[in-house]
Amino acid sequence: MAKIAFILNGKRRDVDAPAEMPLLWVLRDTLGMTGTKFGCGAGVCGSCTVHVDGEAAQACQVPVGMLGGRRVTTIEGLDNVALREAWLAEDVAQCGYCQPGQLMQAAALLAKTPKPEDDEVDEAMNDNLCRCGTYMRIRAAIRRASEREGKYY
Amino acid sequence: MEGRGRRLGEAERVSADEAALAATRRQFLKLGALAAGGLALGFRFPARAGTAGAQEAAGGAGAGFRPNAWVRVDPSGKVFLTVGKSEMGQGARTSLPVILAEELEVDPDSVELVQARPGPDFQDLGTFGSRSTRTMWVPLRTAGAAAREMLVAAAAARWSVDAASCRAEKGSVLHAASGRSASYGSLAAEAARVPVPAAPRLKSKSEFKLIGRDRRRVDGPRIVAGEAVFASDVRLPGMRVACIVRSPVHAGEPKSWNEAAAKAVPGFVALAKIQGGLAVVAESSWAALQAREALEPTVKWDEGADAAVDSAAMLARLRAAAATPGTSLKRGGAAEPALASAARRVEAEYFYPYQAHAPVEPMSAVADVRPGACEVWAGTQNPNGAQEAVAKALGIPAAAVTINVTLLGGGFGRRGRSDFVLDAVEASRATRAPVKVLWTRQDDMRVGDFHPVSFHRMAAGLDASGRPVAWRHVVASPLPRGGGSPPTEEQLRALLRGAYDLPYAVPALQADFGEAASPVRTSSWRGVNHNHNVFAAECFFDEVALAAGKDPLALRLALLKADAVVPGGREGKPVDRARLAAVLDLAGRKAGWGAALPAGRARGVACAAYDGQTSAAAVVEVTVGRDGTWRADRVVCAVDPGVAVNPLGIRAQVEGAAAWALSALSTEITLKAGRVEQATYRDFPILRFRDMPRVETAIVESDAAPTGMGEPPVPIIVAAAANALSAASGRRVRRLPVRPADVGADAGGKGA
Repeated sequence: MAKIAFILNGKRRDVDAPAEMPLLWVLRDTLGMTGTKFGCGAGVCGSCTVHVDGEAAQACQVPVGMLGGRRVTTIEGLDNVALREAWLAEDVAQCGYCQPGQLMQAAALLAKTPKPEDDEVDEAMNDNLCRCGTYMRIRAAIRRASEREGKYY
Repeated sequence: MEGRGRRLGEAERVSADEAALAATRRQFLKLGALAAGGLALGFRFPARAGTAGAQEAAGGAGAGFRPNAWVRVDPSGKVFLTVGKSEMGQGARTSLPVILAEELEVDPDSVELVQARPGPDFQDLGTFGSRSTRTMWVPLRTAGAAAREMLVAAAAARWSVDAASCRAEKGSVLHAASGRSASYGSLAAEAARVPVPAAPRLKSKSEFKLIGRDRRRVDGPRIVAGEAVFASDVRLPGMRVACIVRSPVHAGEPKSWNEAAAKAVPGFVALAKIQGGLAVVAESSWAALQAREALEPTVKWDEGADAAVDSAAMLARLRAAAATPGTSLKRGGAAEPALASAARRVEAEYFYPYQAHAPVEPMSAVADVRPGACEVWAGTQNPNGAQEAVAKALGIPAAAVTINVTLLGGGFGRRGRSDFVLDAVEASRATRAPVKVLWTRQDDMRVGDFHPVSFHRMAAGLDASGRPVAWRHVVASPLPRGGGSPPTEEQLRALLRGAYDLPYAVPALQADFGEAASPVRTSSWRGVNHNHNVFAAECFFDEVALAAGKDPLALRLALLKADAVVPGGREGKPVDRARLAAVLDLAGRKAGWGAALPAGRARGVACAAYDGQTSAAAVVEVTVGRDGTWRADRVVCAVDPGVAVNPLGIRAQVEGAAAWALSALSTEITLKAGRVEQATYRDFPILRFRDMPRVETAIVESDAAPTGMGEPPVPIIVAAAANALSAASGRRVRRLPVRPADVGADAGGKGA
């Protein structure tokens, strides 16, 4: 077991966990934050996408031991209101299970590239799977959010 | 099960549905007493042919009917709708309240949803077969209209005015002449004492204010906040987590194992032998996953005879079954003599693989077994089946088993089976603690309830003018779970759906079924038997058109012109050729059928009336490279689902169906030594973001009662895409998945 301190959604958290335990399970089991989803445990589906120091990362592939002092943002702490509103306006979700991961991936893209080209969107979103097939509406929601002025607040 | 329900003999029309409505109105309305002084109405399903309830109904008693869901108006004015369908992305929780609100005259956003739990009042909560809207249409409208009339009657009595001079609007009753109004809440107690109207007046389509308008998903805000609760998100005090080590051969059982390997993992709690495997229970998900990983290599299995079966052996079984099919359904004249005397004969073989559901949420459930009772939280499509299975496993009455239905992280048919629920129950019983069972992605992929593999022998006879005069479709596949051998007539109709009810006018048609035993479990997968039967029939139809020198779309339209409807389909519903021809024509026009495309690019078309109900047609445009790599560029889909309750939801289902169908052109489950070879999304490559084509949906305006939308577009988009790939490559696609070698000019391989 190791004591690890990191910044989660803007607040300092101290956890006692094996250093190799993936962030995904620290979030879901230790901290009871279930918005970040388990889909494959192998970094293939993107359901557990979070931000580590502002970069999209798959929480199932991030050992908690490497997070000391870093900033982690999860769906619960996502502050891109425009993106959430665009998601609702385009009625993106079907079953909704993969959507927190999709939102986090899209938010990381827009933070870096506020007005992405279509191929940049494709590139950024290609590792996030959706079995319901909501990709078309995700594309529309990202476009809608990127066209909105002053979208980060 | 097939063959349920009323036989109306014609496609249902709102206006022509009056007889059925009158019967159901009388039978399914029941006044409920409400302690708090509100108004509660139960409503019941129409009778099902062949059930005890139907027989009682035929006798006029009606006593055998069970209420299916409840609408309640509280003294506070709140309207509660108990939803008897599981939400798995199809939008039931969004569109069902609209149907109620339309007749009740309330704002659908004000309707509180309560998820039904199985029990005496709720004995039919199954969510499958694209039935959510279709089966709830009449009950919800009738319940809403009856409640509205009772509230109006209560207000009229209070004011001593004629009920006809009052009207309901936005949750209140108004009396225009005197300017008085009363909220539903204030009227609820008095309305509960009004006799239930025998035949409440339902709105005509022209009066609809809510039905037909786009409504966004009610669970959307919680989903984008990360607050939507799926079974895997449920947490109970003192809860443990279990992972399962299961036999790699479905019928296998563990013979020996080394518990010490699991015990060595910090957080290990217990190991329990369960049906078909071992449950490793631990203090956390991470500990359970690690203990599972440590234990798995130590387990020796008793695998049984299925360990000898691989995909090639399975194909041999299917070929043998197709060579000697046991049972058949016929339409018109005898097919074989007509084939023998035809001027020209076309034959081909088709293959459709096992497919996994692969929802992004792996199977998960929470169970809390206590002495004589059990409570379960599960994203199940079959709450009643889960309740029965748990009661049986624990040897307790069903009434002692509570099933809480959470949101489903994708269902697609997989969550109709209760295996994952029983895993949680067995693990909880063994450890005397609440347990969440957590399947890994690999478990989910391998311990499937797969779409059945199938092999098809097709034959058609053409007359001298190129018109099909005979058609024979032999289907070989495993029987689904619970299927008896040989299949009953009802099962046969299910197994041959999409084959025996081929919509085209062919004078002699025969569909045969041959059974092949499967070493892996099979069941319903979005689109069910239509998937493979429509793939084979609609692709072979293109071969027939090519042989006849006719345009495939034009030949389809020509053979749909016959005025007779096609018998059969689920619940005895006939295929309405005029409606099918209309969507086909519309899809063709929207897609620009016949307009020139660049080399390597082509269109394909297909159509079908799903279960004799929702008519759908698709035109898919694909691009094929010389190396055989291909992509779908555009999907145009025209659908006629009757009255479109929520067009936004219908379009979502078509878009999702397109992704599902195009995935099916790339994925398959294969067997080696009785084991499923795929384990992750890497080797079961469902469609990704970059490969999602533009999907255009056209919804035909209709007065007919609504039918399902979750499944109907899937089989036709698969077939249309395969036909497009054949047209673009000049190589006939007769098997899935489509490999580069099947369609690439330079790929060197040869087609099926």
